[in-house]
Amino acid sequence: MASISIPLPLRERAKTGLLGWLATVDHKKIGIMYMVMAFSFFLIAGLLGLVIRLQLAAPNMQIVDAHTYNQLFTMHGTVMIFLFTIPMLVGGFGNYLLPLMIGARDVAFPRLNAFSFWITLGAGLVMFGGFLLGARSDASWTAYVPYSNKTYSPTIGMDIWLLGLILLGIGSTLGAVNFLVTLYTMRAPGMTAWRIPMFGWAMATTAVMILLATPVLTAALIMLVADRNFNTQFFSANQAQLWQHMFWFYSHPAVYIMILPAMGIVSEIIPVFARKPLFGLRAVVISTALIGLLGFTTWVHHMFVSGVDPVLERFFMFTTMVIAVPTGVKVFNWLATLWGGSLNLKTPLLMCIGFLATFVVGGLSGVMMASIPIDQYVHNSYWVVAHFHYVLFGGSVFGIFAGLYYWVPKITGRMFDDKLGKLHFLLMLIGFNVTFFPMHHLGLLGMPRRIATYAAGRGWETGNLIATIGAFLLAFSVLIFILNVLKLRNGQPAGDDPWEGNTLEWSTASPPPEYNFREIPVVESERPLFDARWRTSHLP
Amino acid sequence: MARTASLSEHPATRRDATGQKNKGGLIGVMLFIASESMFFLGLFLAWFYLRAMSTGGWPPPGVTPPPALPAYLNTAVALLSSAAMVCAERAIARDAQRSLLIWISIAGALGIVFMAIQSVEFTVLANLAQGSAYGSAFTFLLVFHTLRVFAGVVLMGVVLIRALLGQVSRRRRLLVQATAAYWYFITGVWLVIFAVLYLS
Repeated sequence: MASISIPLPLRERAKTGLLGWLATVDHKKIGIMYMVMAFSFFLIAGLLGLVIRLQLAAPNMQIVDAHTYNQLFTMHGTVMIFLFTIPMLVGGFGNYLLPLMIGARDVAFPRLNAFSFWITLGAGLVMFGGFLLGARSDASWTAYVPYSNKTYSPTIGMDIWLLGLILLGIGSTLGAVNFLVTLYTMRAPGMTAWRIPMFGWAMATTAVMILLATPVLTAALIMLVADRNFNTQFFSANQAQLWQHMFWFYSHPAVYIMILPAMGIVSEIIPVFARKPLFGLRAVVISTALIGLLGFTTWVHHMFVSGVDPVLERFFMFTTMVIAVPTGVKVFNWLATLWGGSLNLKTPLLMCIGFLATFVVGGLSGVMMASIPIDQYVHNSYWVVAHFHYVLFGGSVFGIFAGLYYWVPKITGRMFDDKLGKLHFLLMLIGFNVTFFPMHHLGLLGMPRRIATYAAGRGWETGNLIATIGAFLLAFSVLIFILNVLKLRNGQPAGDDPWEGNTLEWSTASPPPEYNFREIPVVESERPLFDARWRTSHLP
Repeated sequence: MARTASLSEHPATRRDATGQKNKGGLIGVMLFIASESMFFLGLFLAWFYLRAMSTGGWPPPGVTPPPALPAYLNTAVALLSSAAMVCAERAIARDAQRSLLIWISIAGALGIVFMAIQSVEFTVLANLAQGSAYGSAFTFLLVFHTLRVFAGVVLMGVVLIRALLGQVSRRRRLLVQATAAYWYFITGVWLVIFAVLYLS
């Protein structure tokens, strides 16, 4: 590969040990810290989920009282979304990979990057510390007014929760600025727009959404804090719907903030393991951008039973159905990439196939619910719980594990045990579907979400018991992953490029040195490493 | 085999027409301003939503809107301050350090005048905020705008100190450009606030 020499920055030798981590501005170390933080929160929120499932395993269970149950599902949702999925995908994968993939030595503003991480961790500790010390919010992750106002949530738990979210918003907004400037100004020579890896495009779209959606939520959060503590009148009486509008104006794009990076990961992995270029790169890029754009125009579909003007409802029904089109384009592009490829069925690819299968189920139930009459029937039932777990676990979490199996060898320099990985995949796929598929049925049978327990004789017993069994299988599969991580220490050395990758991160050592590249590579196509391998094998 | 690349091709060493190293910092500021705009858009949406939902009139009966005179004065102050900022930016583009010092001081002083005039308004707003949705939305727009004015004045203070230390020049004026961009944005937001809150 062609490359050019740029003098290495005259930074003093990287500090090692604890201080090396606490004081670092290296995007890779910050990325790893995001990943470790997010995964820890994933385990905690998963445990909360298990308690929820135990409580619902049979009718009239009293493992926790109704009040505690409300706190559990509030924290489960909040932590999974704000402290696991978003920090893992954007903070973890985004930080570690973006500079490497575009041939840069760091992000544009390394110190701002460190600030983003520490404020995110601080927000997590505030929220979770409050939870452990008894200052717990119980108004669910959507914090609908009036549940979240002073009358119905009188304790400080709600304020702590709001404060945590405001801090998280600051961290992720600054992170988004950083990624966009990095992508715009720091690409290696020759990396034109159409040569940016798909993951880079996904992160760019995600960053734009974070940048434009988060401040509206921040405004709403501050308004709620003021309503609770300074007697302002934003969400009182007949204006409570204002909260729903402002909350979903952020939180619907947040769904795409959680899925687009996972789609980016899948778009990187499938071509490598199918040993073909990504089918229709430009179509995938354009549909990603379209999803980002349309993502801002669908939020009212969360409010079809809130009493919004019916004309407005129909508009949002239409946009919600339209957004399935670019999503469908991407699914067909991935399938076309796999089609006729020389498939290398290692764990990363299996996770991508798991992603495709389960995400499509979630996407289809989403299109069904976009229809107002169907939504009015299934709204706030377990059908909805099934739908968003298919999208966020079946989509985002399978994407995250695909990414971990694919890039942890780069991060650590060691290979995972592939057999153990396949076992993890199989059990996770089965456990996931056993847990969440019955919830479709439970929802259609009329089981509302967020109930602490239920009476016998409604036909909900079997479905709930199956779901609980599935949840434990799912949890067990995650234990296998942890075992696999622990075994990394004795894993096979990965070498620079264990998968025959396409993107620049595979051209440097595993783990990469602090400066990433000794020589800045020159990019001549969207698959620079494929070019390099081709040259070595075809030219004298 | 592969083409060779020259050092000047790399973004880390590329320079723009004014000789500045790269525009990353300024783009970052613009993106930050975009997110700030969305914050105010949220507050304005709340204002219009609450106005549309209000049943008894806007402002509701019994609520007297805050006096408009300070707002008219402040509109003039904000525009003058932004004009001074334009002069400051032009001064440093010519490498005129003394001129920069003078103009940035004028712009900053006008920013402080703005906050002083606004403080008159706040004596009324403290009660207004609690009485009605109208008062709450009104107060929020003014309070969060004034916070930005404060941030802008602090930034101008930093520019002033760094200029006095001789750390600002034609080639190193990103801080001035960033401060100016943010200040124009704050002025723009004020004009919208003025139009929506006082003129409509």
